[in-house]
Amino acid sequence: MNHLSEEELVDYYYGEDAAGDRAETGRHLEACTQCAQAYRDLECDLKEIKAGGESQAFAFLETPTGDASYGRGVWAALASSLEPYPARKRAGLRLSLWQGLAYAAACAVLATCAFYAGRQWEHHQPPVVAHVAPRPAVKQPVVIVVLGDHLDRSERLLVELKHTDADNEQMAVPLRDEARTLLAANRVCRQNAKNSDDPALTKALGRLDHLLAELASQPDDLDPATIERLQKEMNQGNLLFEVRVLRTRIPDRQASAGRSQGGTI
Amino acid sequence: MGENDHAAVRAILAGDTDAYAVLVMRHSATLFRVAYRITGNQADADDVVQEAFLRGYRKLDGFESRSNFGTWIYRIAVRCALDRIDGRKADERNRVSEETDPEQQAVQVADQAAGPERLLLSAEIAAMQKMALRSLTPTERTAFVLRHLEDRTTEEIAAVLGIAPNAAKQAVFRAVQKLRLRLATLRVRT
Repeated sequence: MNHLSEEELVDYYYGEDAAGDRAETGRHLEACTQCAQAYRDLECDLKEIKAGGESQAFAFLETPTGDASYGRGVWAALASSLEPYPARKRAGLRLSLWQGLAYAAACAVLATCAFYAGRQWEHHQPPVVAHVAPRPAVKQPVVIVVLGDHLDRSERLLVELKHTDADNEQMAVPLRDEARTLLAANRVCRQNAKNSDDPALTKALGRLDHLLAELASQPDDLDPATIERLQKEMNQGNLLFEVRVLRTRIPDRQASAGRSQGGTI
Repeated sequence: MGENDHAAVRAILAGDTDAYAVLVMRHSATLFRVAYRITGNQADADDVVQEAFLRGYRKLDGFESRSNFGTWIYRIAVRCALDRIDGRKADERNRVSEETDPEQQAVQVADQAAGPERLLLSAEIAAMQKMALRSLTPTERTAFVLRHLEDRTTEEIAAVLGIAPNAAKQAVFRAVQKLRLRLATLRVRT
């Protein structure tokens, strides 16, 4: 049987041993008379080392009475050497720190509220649609512009047709190609003139349409007789003169603007 | 009491020095008791108590309101007492070394108990016990006082002394060993 060491006995006396060890030590002390005697000796010694122990050997450990007067005496000795804490400064510092934190928090809350309020306001607003007011004068000027450009080109075509040599095929073919180009534009202008209740323009463009259609429908090998016929029709109906008159009805400013925007049509 | 202590601490930090009187009068007796047990004499204990309260006052702005003021100032007092006996140890080394000199012991007890032989013998025993206690190192003595007389746990002792719990436990054990050896010698002598 292993006997308990003095350290184990001391631990057992002060209750410093673990719960499991304590139970085991207790059982050992019941069973082992030698260790039990050693423990009793230890217990006797430690009890003696107490103020008021049986032998009074450690009576000096008994402290003098510390009554209320003792505390007053200590305070009397201390009071004069204590510097007051700078209360206001410290309190002010703490207050300013708290105030700073409070201001920072308030600013953060304010910014957050403003952000969400802005978002809510934005969501509740009707969607803004870019509205472009129709310009009443736009439609007509566009027609006039196209018409002015068209009339210019038609006038040049008619002049060339008037002075072309019917037997010269090389001169007649470009006129036919130009007539094909002008034919579509002439129909658009004529339709617009009709919608605009302009009978004189509609009538003149109708006659021009007839001429252009005749010219555009010619084959590659142009018949000189057809060219002469078209020249005669044009001269008899004063188509060239009529086109020039229509051209003069269009203001120069609009005509120049129309030329500059002619490509947009 | 703890709440009253905290109120007093707040008042002191707000500039009311007199509020410290409440704490001084409330905890002086406890501090004196442990200081006396560690230092072994009233004069040193008085000095320790005053020094502890003075240190406590100066460190009061670092006192955490979660702590118990009584425990806090108690630890300061133990530290002050430890410092005191630690510094005194060198001065008393010669006296401790003379404890085996019967003549020297007779001189020491003569001042305290003059008179009949019986009283002289008791005084001599007491003087030897004092020496037995003083033969311990400051750490051992403090650890033993806190464990044996103040009923503090090993963890508390370790915290006060600033050492590991196991070291505190060992300090108590060494103190017990030394004191028992002194007691055995005393029993033989008497």
